[in-house]
Parts: sequence; structure tokens; C-alpha cells
Amino acid sequence: MAEEVAPHAKDISRALGGKVSEKEIENELNNYLNVYRVSLDTAKRSIVRKHGGNPADLAMGVSKTIKDLIAGEQSVDLLCRVVSVDGRQIDVEGGAKDILYGILGDQTGTVPYTAWVTEGLSLHKGDVIRIRNAYTKEFRGQVQVNFGNRTSIAKESPDALPPYDPGKSAPPTGKPTPLKVIDLREGTSNIALTVRVLDVEKKQVAVNGDAKIVFSGVLADETGKVKFSAWKDFGLSKGDIILIEGGYVKVWRGIPQLSFDERSKVSKLEATALPPTEELEKSPRVWIEDLAERGGAVDVAVRGIIIDIKEGSGLVYRCPECKRVLRKMACRIHGEVQGTADLRVKAVVDDGSGALIAVFGRELTEGLLGKTLEKCIEEAKESMSQEVVRDQLADILVAQPVEVRGNVTIDDYGLMMIVESAKILKVDVEQEARAMLEELEGLEDTA
Amino acid sequence: MNRETAWRVFAGEYNESNLEVSDGGERSPSFLVTPLGARINRLFVVGVLTDIENVGTEQGPMWRARITDPTGTFHVYAGQYQPVAAAVLSKMKPPVFAAVAGKSRVYKPDEGTTYVSIRPEIVKPVEAYLRDYWVLESCQSLKRRLEAAREAYKMNPPTEAELRKLGVSAGLSAGLVKAVGHYGKVDLSRYSSMLAESVRYLLPEFRESAPPETVTIAPPEKVIEKKVVATADDKTEDEVLILIASLDKDSKGASWDAILEGAKKIKVDKEKLEETINSLLDKGLVYEPVLGRMKKI
Repeated sequence: MAEEVAPHAKDISRALGGKVSEKEIENELNNYLNVYRVSLDTAKRSIVRKHGGNPADLAMGVSKTIKDLIAGEQSVDLLCRVVSVDGRQIDVEGGAKDILYGILGDQTGTVPYTAWVTEGLSLHKGDVIRIRNAYTKEFRGQVQVNFGNRTSIAKESPDALPPYDPGKSAPPTGKPTPLKVIDLREGTSNIALTVRVLDVEKKQVAVNGDAKIVFSGVLADETGKVKFSAWKDFGLSKGDIILIEGGYVKVWRGIPQLSFDERSKVSKLEATALPPTEELEKSPRVWIEDLAERGGAVDVAVRGIIIDIKEGSGLVYRCPECKRVLRKMACRIHGEVQGTADLRVKAVVDDGSGALIAVFGRELTEGLLGKTLEKCIEEAKESMSQEVVRDQLADILVAQPVEVRGNVTIDDYGLMMIVESAKILKVDVEQEARAMLEELEGLEDTA
Repeated sequence: MNRETAWRVFAGEYNESNLEVSDGGERSPSFLVTPLGARINRLFVVGVLTDIENVGTEQGPMWRARITDPTGTFHVYAGQYQPVAAAVLSKMKPPVFAAVAGKSRVYKPDEGTTYVSIRPEIVKPVEAYLRDYWVLESCQSLKRRLEAAREAYKMNPPTEAELRKLGVSAGLSAGLVKAVGHYGKVDLSRYSSMLAESVRYLLPEFRESAPPETVTIAPPEKVIEKKVVATADDKTEDEVLILIASLDKDSKGASWDAILEGAKKIKVDKEKLEETINSLLDKGLVYEPVLGRMKKI
């Protein structure tokens, strides 16, 4: 047992209100640990209980590194760095509740976390923090750290945590989980993913004031595409098939994105390990219900029926400063301004499994209307109403089956697709019906 | 907050539903759960608007519309709180293909009696293609529910987790567990024949007579020529169909007495006439706007 016993004895004594001496407890603790060989956590809790105390009063959990975390720890201490932090509101019994979530990292690996109590809690990316009394659970097959009522968090100086040295320590955490792109979710970490590089670009970005080189682009397997950021030069080039081990998923601009760095292992595979680039470049067709579950996706195709055209569709005017759409000719940030005319559609596309808001930009809207922005402005002037364009769009689009393709993001208002391309769907109903009938009759025959 | 999904469900399944559930909480939406586990808060239907009537008052109109699909009839009610839908409905001239997106409504006047209807958000006249497209989508949707229900019926009792493992969606798994708890294991053959019938509805080889469009567009001589190859029953149906159309002078439909009179002239007796009209009703080629009157669709 590398850990000092004394501070834990002190902790137990405090939890018992000082009615048993520290010396006595230390002996007892040593007995539990060295003779009976139970875990420190169990030992502490047992001693407190034995003396009639409440184990919940213990302030100090067991210090661990991320690599050693297992699901179901009752009370664990960590010294780690905040890799990312995000906030979100969730619905619980009795109203809405704010939570914080993200990723923690230390020299041994990374792990997702959720802070269920956020009052007075301030976490910033890059902070080194000492967490006491956190607990762990398994969530979607991964260990997750939770901060609850009993958890305390203190900020430490940045050098309290040794910088990660790839030369000395082993790669992070246990065995990476093999996953497909379609399985990637916010907070997933330490994955093993076989993908083809569809696109890669070297960029310089500023991280906390320092210039850093990042390689970003799009990866794909047969289930879908995902954006990535590689914080080390793995020598990736377009068309490569690679196996990434390690890495974590974080939502960026409403879409899950994969990040990996020097702690991850990247190996190149045979060119035959995945279908060819042309095949993987196609946007996979997905159900809206699955998009809601995945929390957004890169370049997917959805087939559905437009069942409504939202307010703010048609001819709109934007603030010349911030591009926000004006309401009553005023911008909510810049006040009364001379707006710039634009065309757009916000349509509700529903595929029977779910619904999303599809946003069509000017070019697509002009195509749908079969007329230019200038013509629309003219017509609006003639009829003295901006709404005339929206009405025309509703005539064309409502109850229209469409296939739309683009990136899908998710936020508090639900799913939204920025439409890259769209087509009016013409399905050969007879042919599809015939295929279905054959299938049904086939079933009858075997039944 | 995700928007509630607009389910594609046939009238035959929707109208069989009498289980209303809510997730609890004051503001959470309520759902109508069908015997096959569709949890419907919103739905999208396309069918033939066969009649529209003001069941309210002159000042406070409440429009009731009937929309039929291959399996039954949806009842749509729009009043002062659905001004846009009500305005569109009131101007529609049945029969016409109509698309409706709206919320499920449940009315239970007393224990054991349930009426379900639709409160429309959007109403739009559409073309035949969209009706066919919708029937196809609804068939696919019904097929998924049927398959999931078959799996659920093998479990004792069915659980969401087990259904999810089989790839059934989260929403349907939850709905099916509720449905089995309330309706028990319903006779699935009723729904599998509903499915087969609806798929066949889309295929010309299963239509026993020429589509109504051909009959109206073609001049009478041509129609008669065509009938050489048709069977005797088809011939009678076509004749009766033309008869009904010709007797419908005020577009309120042809009266029964007039049809009977006209039938005698083309040598169709009363029994044969009734049989023929029933068949036409079944095929959705005619309907009864008011009792005792027949109208061609």
C-alpha cells in the first residue's frame, strides 16, 4: 500500500467526531489493509460503521488515477486536468436542473464526467483540480465519474499534475472499445475505430494563447462520417485507412467530433479494410429518431415529408453587422439597422420516426421557388407584404416528400439540418409496393 | 425539446385505440397508444376527403371532415382555435385528396366509449401521388410495428430493454409495453391482412376495375369498347358507376330511387345493384355523402 495511512486515519477519526483516537484507528486500518487485505475504501467505511459512525461523513476517498477507475466506486479522489467542460439543462422531477459535463484527463488517460450539483462550482478547461468523494458508474459501456452532493473540488496549481510524457508511461486506460462511427457519442473515450480519411487539412489554432498545429478533417466507415481533430502529426493523408486507439468524442458546434493526440495510437491498415472512398463519401440515409439519439451527425441524408414551414421563412432581412434575421426591421443586438435582403426556408421535415428543422439557404430557396431574390423583393413590394414569399413556399413545399442532405446539429430546440442539397422525392410507389408484397407473401409461405 | 413525431398510421389501427397515456407532469404531452404500440401525439394522414360539415353554429363554426384511407375513416375537427386549418377545410370541395398534419384527440363520453379524432394543424389539398406515397409509408410503418409486436408477444412480459436489444426503436418499445399491458395480445392476423390489403391497394393488378379517372375522361363509346375484355361484374360496376355520375346533377349525389330506376333500364336488378354498389363502396369508387345518396369519387 503505497498510500499514506495517516491522513485516512485522521479522516476516520474526524468522521467519528474524535471519539476514537487516531493512533487506535491507524492500527485498525493497517490491520484491515494488510492482514485482511480489503480495499482502502471498504476498510474506512467498515471502521466508521463499526464505531457507530456514518460512512457518508468521510471526507476523503481513495486516490486513484484515471486508468485504475472501475465502475461502482463509492468514493474516489482524483487529481486531474479538465480537458473539456460543457453545460446543459436537463429535465428532472420537480423542474429543470443545470449540469456540467465533459472530460477529465491525467497522465494515465481520460474519462467522461458529469457534475450533478453545479452551485458554486466553477470548472474551466485546463484547470488542474483535486476531486474528493466522487463516485463512478457505468454509462454506455464506459466508466463515468460523477460529482454529487458529497463531492468537493479544489483548484490546484497547474504544475500539481505532472505533464504527460509519452516516452515513459504506457498508453491510456485498459483496452480500447471497438466502435463504429455510428456509435460515437458525446463523452465516449478510449475507442478503437477503423476509418478511412476522407479529408485532412493542417491548421494552426490558438489554444489558451499558444499556437498549436492541428490536423482536422472527416473520417468515415460504412456506418457514417465524423469530423476529427488530431493534435499530433500522424502523417495522415486522404484515402488512408487507419486504426485509431484512444481518443475521445466531444460535441463541437452541436455535432459529436473525435479528438486524438499523442496519447492515442494510430496505425495504417491495408487499403482493402474498408469500402473504397467513393462508397464512403456517399451520405448514408438515416432515420431522424437515430439522429436524436446520436446527438447530431456529419453529412447524412434524410427522407421525409415537409409538414410545416416555420415563421421566419421566405424573404427575410439580416443585420449587416451580425447577420441575424431582423424582427420588425430591428436587430436584437444592434437595434434599428438597414437590413440586407435574403431568402431562406425553415421547414419541418418528418419521416415518421422523428422530426427536424431543415434550413435551406438562399440558393436552394431560389431553386425551390424558381425565381431570384430580386424577383421576390419586387413581388413583396407589389403586394405590400413580406409574407407573400412564405405563402408561395408553403404552397410548394407543405406535404411534399423530400430527400435532404447535410450536417445535423442538436440543441435545446431539437435537431436542425443545414441543408447542403435537397431533392423532391419521386418514389416508384408501385415498384416498392410490389417488392413489399413479395416479401409479405414470402413470409406467409415459410410460416 | 424534440418536436413530436408525426406518425403514419392507418385509420383502421388509429380508430381501434382507447389508451391515453401521459409521461406525468403538468405540461407533458399526452399520447394515444394504438394496439400495436404507436404512441401518437401528432400524426400525418393523406386520404380522400369525402365530406365536410359545419357541426357548430354559424357564428362559431366547427368543421367536421371525414378522410378515408384504404382501411377506414379519420375524423377531423377544426374550430376557432385552428383558424388556418378551418379556413382551408371550409373551402374544400369533396371529394378531394387531402393531407392533414395534426394532434391526436381522445373523447371519452362515458366509461367504455372512446372516440378518437384529429385536431388539424395543417390541411392541404394534394394529388393522388401523395396519397399513394402515404399509403406506402404507412404500410412500412405498420410492418415495423407488426414485426415488433410479434417479438413482444413471445416475451413474458415484454420489456423495453429486451425489445431494444432486438433493434426496436426506443419510442416503439415503450409504446408496445404499454399496449400489451392494456390491450393484451391482440389478434395480429387482423393487422397483417390490413397490411396486405393496403399494399395490394397500390398495385393495378389488384384493382378489379379500371381506375375511375379513365371512366370519366373517356367518352362513353370508348368505355363500352373497353368492356369487351372486362368480366361481367366489372361491366356492371362500370355501368353503375356511369349511372351514378350521370344522375348526380346537383353534385349532392344521386338518390337511391333514381339509381334503382336507372338500373332497371340497363337491366340490372335490385339485388345485383346492391351487390355492385357495395363492391364500389369497398373499392372507394363511390361513397355515401348522406344516407340514401351515392356519389362517385
